[in-house]
Amino acid sequence: MSTLKIKDLHVEIENKEILKGVNLTMKSGEIHAIMGPNGTGKSTLSESIMGNPAYKVTQGDILIDGQSILDKPVDERARLGLFLAMQYPAEIPGVTNAEFIRGAINARRPKENPISIRQFLKDLSKTMDFLDMTDEMAERYLNEGFSGGEKKRNEILQMMMIKPKFAILDEIDSGLDIDALKVVSKGVNEMRGPEFSAFIITHYQRLLNYIVPDVVHVMMGGKIVKTGGPELAKKLEDEGYAGLRDELGLDIKLTDENA
Amino acid sequence: MTLTKETIEAYSVFKKEPNFFTEKRLAAWIKADSLSLPSFQKIRYQKWPIQLQNDLKKEADTWPDDLLFTPSENQLVECGTTTVKCQLDEALTAQGVILTDLDDALKKHADLMETYFMTTAVKADENKLTAQHQALVSSGALLYIPKNTVIKEPITSYFIQNALQKKDYVHHVLIIADTNSEVSYLENLLTVGDVANTANIVVEVIAKAGSHVKFASFDRLGANTTTYLNRRGYLENDAKIDWSMGMMNDGNIVGDFDSDLKGAGSHAEVKVIAISTGKQVQGIDTRVTNYGKHSIGHILQHGVILAKSALIFNGIGHIIHGAKGADAQQESRVLMLSTKARGDANPILLIDDNDVSAGHAASVGRVDQSQLYYLMSRGLPQKIAERLVIRGFLGPVLTAVPNVTVRRQLSDMIEEKLVNGQADE
Repeated sequence: MSTLKIKDLHVEIENKEILKGVNLTMKSGEIHAIMGPNGTGKSTLSESIMGNPAYKVTQGDILIDGQSILDKPVDERARLGLFLAMQYPAEIPGVTNAEFIRGAINARRPKENPISIRQFLKDLSKTMDFLDMTDEMAERYLNEGFSGGEKKRNEILQMMMIKPKFAILDEIDSGLDIDALKVVSKGVNEMRGPEFSAFIITHYQRLLNYIVPDVVHVMMGGKIVKTGGPELAKKLEDEGYAGLRDELGLDIKLTDENA
Repeated sequence: MTLTKETIEAYSVFKKEPNFFTEKRLAAWIKADSLSLPSFQKIRYQKWPIQLQNDLKKEADTWPDDLLFTPSENQLVECGTTTVKCQLDEALTAQGVILTDLDDALKKHADLMETYFMTTAVKADENKLTAQHQALVSSGALLYIPKNTVIKEPITSYFIQNALQKKDYVHHVLIIADTNSEVSYLENLLTVGDVANTANIVVEVIAKAGSHVKFASFDRLGANTTTYLNRRGYLENDAKIDWSMGMMNDGNIVGDFDSDLKGAGSHAEVKVIAISTGKQVQGIDTRVTNYGKHSIGHILQHGVILAKSALIFNGIGHIIHGAKGADAQQESRVLMLSTKARGDANPILLIDDNDVSAGHAASVGRVDQSQLYYLMSRGLPQKIAERLVIRGFLGPVLTAVPNVTVRRQLSDMIEEKLVNGQADE
């Protein structure tokens, strides 16, 4: 049983405060959805948890099982069990998808005990099959020339192969058609279990029809403003973020709101 | 003993060299004084200990038992000025192929040596360093491929500079590919020992009409070796040279790589991969000169710089007046991994005719942080992530190397040089 805890987290980027005191706790086995309008700090939250050096934590803490991870670089955090499915994965020419994923798996194993190539290829092929990915995707260069949908599937493939304790899926649904959305959701649901937990960051309730969350958080103005069950997402879909804001009496300007 | 005209003559006599060679040595020695050091843009090496000043040594070299080379067929291995192994398939010998060391070449193949040694591709009186080279050359090789002979298996050489003692390394390789012949040659330059020394190395490739030479080199000279490395191709009609060079040296070096496209339809493809680490400076000046009509000269060089090292790539495409339909293209790219590293990529095009095509691309950049972040976010440690990004950067040159074995060896050497270089940081 593991716990990821975010305590009063304040984060700046380029001297502008984006997160203004986020509190969250997620235990293994749970799926949390984080919803919120554009520009409210959802991606900042996920990048800060992962340890992107461009984001500066000015106050608060991020803890795994009670241990602060703030002073740990991104690769160490990953080896502690964090995984971020990125909104815009980088393209790496010259490095094949398969060798990259194998390298990532071996980075978590003792040096003298790497995964056997046969076992790896078997797992990879099975997982790619599950995600309706063609075999040639394994030998293509990492994300190079991948379509938006292929990149998202590839993020889920990596997640399923690496088997992290805590996954953060940053707008994994953006730009996906309904079939791709189903495949991605299938991947996340397959991972569900007592050893796995995930933050699902999304604008839209649509994704949550396929991945039913245990907890739904709403973020606005750099804070969590409301937490509830799956019904909260449905309510947002009906009433919109402005409705919730007014109900809570918050003085926050929404980016996409017409003045 | 100080170096004089007399000591050079005595050495030549001791080695029983033919008269023409003794005379060439002496003439070059006298000429050297009045010649200047060659100059290359942005490569400031003039104050390095690059000039030859030490007397020639007559004693044979000794070396440790674990001398590093991978044995293969058709191979020449030398340590310092001494030949360790020289083996050529009997069938090839019967066809007239020659593979031998400098001493033997001067004794048994004086005609070829007199005709081609520093007469056609590189000339002794070009500059101070080439003159010193002719005067003091003390090891080397001759590879001759007769007309219409196609050699399937590669010829391999290991030239191991002996730095277990104070001794200049003045080494000359002469490759003559006669009309319509074809050969693949793999050269390994390395160092044993760590005494500070000067190396002056010249490789001449004479590609006669219609011949095809695939030249690959793995250069791994030691950290305390200061080197002038001159490799030059002389291409006749429809001849082709594929150069694939891996500059993985640890010391300061000037690479002076030229292809003289003399013949109509001659073609040179030059691929260079260089990695600089520690505090070393590698200056690489790669030139293609189109003299012949419809001749083609392409340069593709990518390099990586770590720590406080420097890497300078000059790419020179020179089309001579009258070379109608000639093509000169070049691409030089440098990737810096450290803020203390220094990199330069200078494209130079000199076009003296109209009816030609020419182009260049050059860049110096830092490693892409978003790529590193992405790789590390999957748990890969920073150094491994860096090596993957570097591999991607060098990929376009590696995949363009024609021989699969060479490609694999180069790739292994890159990894080794990077791992060692990162450990220094």
